[in-house]
Amino acid sequence: MNYYIEPIARLINELSRLPGIGGKTAQRLAFHIIDMPRDRLADLTRAMIQAREEIKYCSVCCNLTDQDPCAICSSHSRDRSLICVVKDSRDVIAMEKMRDYKGVYHVLHGSISPMEGIGPDDIRIKEMLHRVNEGEVKEVIMATNPDVEGEATAVYISRLLKPMGIKVTRIAHGIPVGGDLEYADEVTLSKALEGRREM
Amino acid sequence: MRLRELVLKNYRNYNELELSFHSDLILFAGLNAQGKTNILESIFTSCTGRSHRTPRDRELIQWGKEEALIRTRVEKQAGISEIAVLLAARDKKKVMINQSPASRLGELMGHLNSVMFSPDDLKLIREGPAERRRFMDMELSQIRPQYFYYLQQYNRVLNHRNNLLKSIQVKPSLAATLPAWDVQLAQTGSYIIQQRKLFQDSLRIIAQEIHHRITNGTEKLDLEYKSSIPFQTNQLEEIQQQFLQVLEERQKEDIERGITGKGCHRDDIVFHINGADVRVFGSQGQKRTTVLSIKFSELEYMRQETGEYPLLLLDDVMSELDYSRQQMLLEYIGKVQTFITLTDPDLIPDLKHKKMQIFKIHSGTALPLESLSF
Repeated sequence: MNYYIEPIARLINELSRLPGIGGKTAQRLAFHIIDMPRDRLADLTRAMIQAREEIKYCSVCCNLTDQDPCAICSSHSRDRSLICVVKDSRDVIAMEKMRDYKGVYHVLHGSISPMEGIGPDDIRIKEMLHRVNEGEVKEVIMATNPDVEGEATAVYISRLLKPMGIKVTRIAHGIPVGGDLEYADEVTLSKALEGRREM
Repeated sequence: MRLRELVLKNYRNYNELELSFHSDLILFAGLNAQGKTNILESIFTSCTGRSHRTPRDRELIQWGKEEALIRTRVEKQAGISEIAVLLAARDKKKVMINQSPASRLGELMGHLNSVMFSPDDLKLIREGPAERRRFMDMELSQIRPQYFYYLQQYNRVLNHRNNLLKSIQVKPSLAATLPAWDVQLAQTGSYIIQQRKLFQDSLRIIAQEIHHRITNGTEKLDLEYKSSIPFQTNQLEEIQQQFLQVLEERQKEDIERGITGKGCHRDDIVFHINGADVRVFGSQGQKRTTVLSIKFSELEYMRQETGEYPLLLLDDVMSELDYSRQQMLLEYIGKVQTFITLTDPDLIPDLKHKKMQIFKIHSGTALPLESLSF
């Protein structure tokens, strides 16, 4: 079994613990890293450690940031009365790429999931209620994933916000834009039909 | 629909098997424990992605192997399609439909349909409600892909909710999240109930007629979908509302017991003969006849819903039927492509006059025989 020398084995093992990296990819990366020029490797490790050390959570929206409050929360061109609630930082990036959204965000860092023992106190819901309590917010858009956990999180939060007189909306599910109706699967189609609106 | 080709690799006791079918009646003959049922099982698995015998894919893969493959070529009114189901010991199963991978198992449903008659069928009557729910779920999933999806969602939500109920016993403040799950349970559950009720309505009409024929009019069969959620109109909105109300009413009890006590995961379908519950009051013979009526109804129901007959898989059941019931089964041959396993074709003399293919099954091999040699 011992065809790897120990330092390489250790490197492969560490790499394969990263998400989306299997044994083969880990091996390829490990051999690539060993072949790298020393200074490039130093850049890589420095970038990793720096990223880890300099990144913190925004005290307003809980997104990852290097300044507090984050660039979005401190921007003057953003509409602070509109909050889009997402599951994690990657979703903020997805929304930002759209360039059309002018409100601010709230990042929950997870969804409610009793099977994994994640309750509302384990994600950033309290911080979000605190923001809403400050009075500036008019509408909250629930943009959590359309799976059962995301849906439960959205329903739970909306039930907390509605009594406070806040407008709560849910993003639509259905046919992707530019997609052909004939290629949509039956479930997506029935969701789209459910969420139809009057013209 | 007609099954034209079946390829097995590392499946149960078959290393490699390639069969092509060109007739409407296919017999697999052989001694016990040679692999006759395994072939029918593999066909059934191509229909639903699951074996009718076991929920564990591992058991379908040949001992010591990592993967097994079932590939089928099916001729339907709409044309030919190819289905491949790849079972892996350490991974999720993969499904390919016409060479393109299906992202969800649900996409498999409906490409190939079958109805299986097996000695286990009596379980449908004898055993608890879970068996009968499985029957409805299998049936509806094959016909409606959404049903399969909603069922998966329901089970996931239910699992979350049951976990949550147990957590609430330790940390009561979590009860505030319960409604978020109730809403989804009622949403997905109401669709399931509605579809099952519709299924029962259609199946009832067909089964009554068939049962009347089998018993020469001496018995009246009736079906009743028994839901733990009361509803009148079978409208989604109504069922959903009732569902929510039941969940709310039972909340305290559910928390105490740490489990969701009502919902479509507790429902049942009850068979009555001349007004009496067959499960409780039926004789052995009545139970058998009821199962037979239900199975025949499945065939007709599928044709009604999909426009063509499914495959008919008869696993070792011919010898258990009396002459008139054998005749009824044989009536379908010609309309329906039928696969039969038996120990000795001579036991059923009426088969002799049919155009058919016979395969002699012997420890993981299938040898084609001319029908004349029997």
